Amino acid sequence: MRKIEPRVSRRSFTVGALLAAGTAGLPIMVKAQEGKTVALLFDSLVSPFWVSGIEIMRAEAAERGWETLEAISDFDDNRQFEQVRAMIEREVDGILIIQTDANAVIPAIRAANEAGIPMVHFNRPPAESDAYSVAIQADNRKIMQDTVQFLVDEAKAMGGTYKACILIGDLGDVNAIQRRDGFFDIVDQHPDLIEVVARVSTEWNADKAFAGLTNALQANPDINFLVTSSDFLHPQIEQALKIAGKWHPRGEEGHVLFGGFDGDEGAYQRLIDGYLDACGVQNLFLEVDMAFGAFEDLWAGKQVDKLLLDPGFVITAANLEEVRDQMWGYIVWQQQQ
Amino acid sequence: MSGTAGRRLALVVLQNAPLIAFVVVLVIFASLSDRFLTLGNFTNIVTQSSHIAIMAIGITFVLLTAGIDLSVGAVMYVGVAILALYLGDLPVVVSFPLVALIGLALGAVNGFFVVQMRGLHPFIITLAMLFILRGAALWMTDTRMVFVAEPIMSLGRTSYLGVPWAIWMFAAVFALAWIVLRETPFGRQVYAVGQDPVAAGKAGINVPLVLFAVYCICGLCAALGGLVSIAQVAAASSTFGFQKEFPVIAAAVLGGTSLFGGRGGVIGTVFGAILIQTVENGLVMTNANLHHRW
Repeated sequence: MRKIEPRVSRRSFTVGALLAAGTAGLPIMVKAQEGKTVALLFDSLVSPFWVSGIEIMRAEAAERGWETLEAISDFDDNRQFEQVRAMIEREVDGILIIQTDANAVIPAIRAANEAGIPMVHFNRPPAESDAYSVAIQADNRKIMQDTVQFLVDEAKAMGGTYKACILIGDLGDVNAIQRRDGFFDIVDQHPDLIEVVARVSTEWNADKAFAGLTNALQANPDINFLVTSSDFLHPQIEQALKIAGKWHPRGEEGHVLFGGFDGDEGAYQRLIDGYLDACGVQNLFLEVDMAFGAFEDLWAGKQVDKLLLDPGFVITAANLEEVRDQMWGYIVWQQQQ
Repeated sequence: MSGTAGRRLALVVLQNAPLIAFVVVLVIFASLSDRFLTLGNFTNIVTQSSHIAIMAIGITFVLLTAGIDLSVGAVMYVGVAILALYLGDLPVVVSFPLVALIGLALGAVNGFFVVQMRGLHPFIITLAMLFILRGAALWMTDTRMVFVAEPIMSLGRTSYLGVPWAIWMFAAVFALAWIVLRETPFGRQVYAVGQDPVAAGKAGINVPLVLFAVYCICGLCAALGGLVSIAQVAAASSTFGFQKEFPVIAAAVLGGTSLFGGRGGVIGTVFGAILIQTVENGLVMTNANLHHRW
């Protein structure tokens, strides 16, 4: 029997394999972040902001070649913690989380830290702790200040005095607190122009918002300055103002100066219809980009600040066409049309 | 004051504690806001109490039989989700009765299991229904906010003879419930079953049928409450009806309905619902700072 000599010696195979691995490694290093799996843990899709947020995330993840795993906790902190544990067990590469409560999420961050999985908080930062995670957040206070400042300037231009009402969000949500503070930062500077006659606690609940605003309008039928901490409450605001006979567009007598926050498609529609005067917009596209960029930096071993801010912007009838392309609600509105 | 007179006074106070609390609430808020004690604000309070009161009237029937229904908030969410997603194109005169029937059917499911699984407390059965129905509604809506058609929103803003539509609806449910409980054999059977189901059975009352019926009524009222609520708030998010069972049960109990059955009625329940809303209304009327700024 003829002995078959190996064409490749062990030595040449080893050298060749090392060279092949090195050559193949070049594109692998370049493409290292493709094939990543990221968990998207939402507490709800209660408002158009979150619905659009998750859709933008899916599209952006697909573009980067990432796989996403999704879960919704329905405002249940314990359930969300279990979801984090499940994602850790599945050995995901990153966890993007939108927690309900800033303090309740800290054990989840610690669990992710122990597992060496980067965690990014989207739109809501956690409470202060020694656990490490990155939060992407709109500069709520500044955006709300700018929004209310626009309304104050309008009020000054129109003359008269104003009775104001603010719809405040949930006390456990730092965004709600910052938006409320941004509102008072500005109105407190104009005591002769604006008197805040109602602070409606909504707890991000449409029922409570409607009842609270109706009560406020009953107590103060002359409310003519209204700010909501989120645009998702617009349907209830419209209904309450219609019942009170105060739903009038700009230029009509009885128009209530109205400011919103978020920048959803309903806000865009009300801006062009003239019912909404100004809206503080969170730049959702930028925030998703910042969140995914943070993952890439963390995977690459870079140090990332614990808080990254989206400066946002204010949209009004005056700058509508100029800035609406950055308004996520406008994109949704276009799709609906 | 003698000891006997003191005890009598204490008893009178205890028996009328909700009424006294109501008067205290009225006095406090009236002293803090000059717009609190007005006809307009009273109408406002009753309008906003309407959906809770309707649901509480339904649960009163259940409580009178010593039962409980924790699924009322979930039933109202399911009904409204179906209305917004699948019945939006139908006229209100068709879609509303359909939603009411859905509530009745869901109540019948509760009633069926309560009757068939007598060893299991209604607390467990209706708690399970709460999770099942809320899960079903979240699945249907994909946890997103759903909107109802403009005719329904218009209905929420409609008044007849100066009285909002919601109050008419509430008044109709209240009147019917009061008549059923006070003037019909079925009403007396409900009390009898709540007092002592064994004795009621021996007296010839069809106890399973009465129990089944009260859960049907409760489901129907939950769906009607949902309709009244959605006509006012125009949109239902995933929190719609969430934990509604608490104010609903609280309204009935505040109004004097016993959790152990056999005692109470819908007049007290309505009073309880209005008391709860009066407190919420008063806090806003007085511009109470619920989020104190430190």
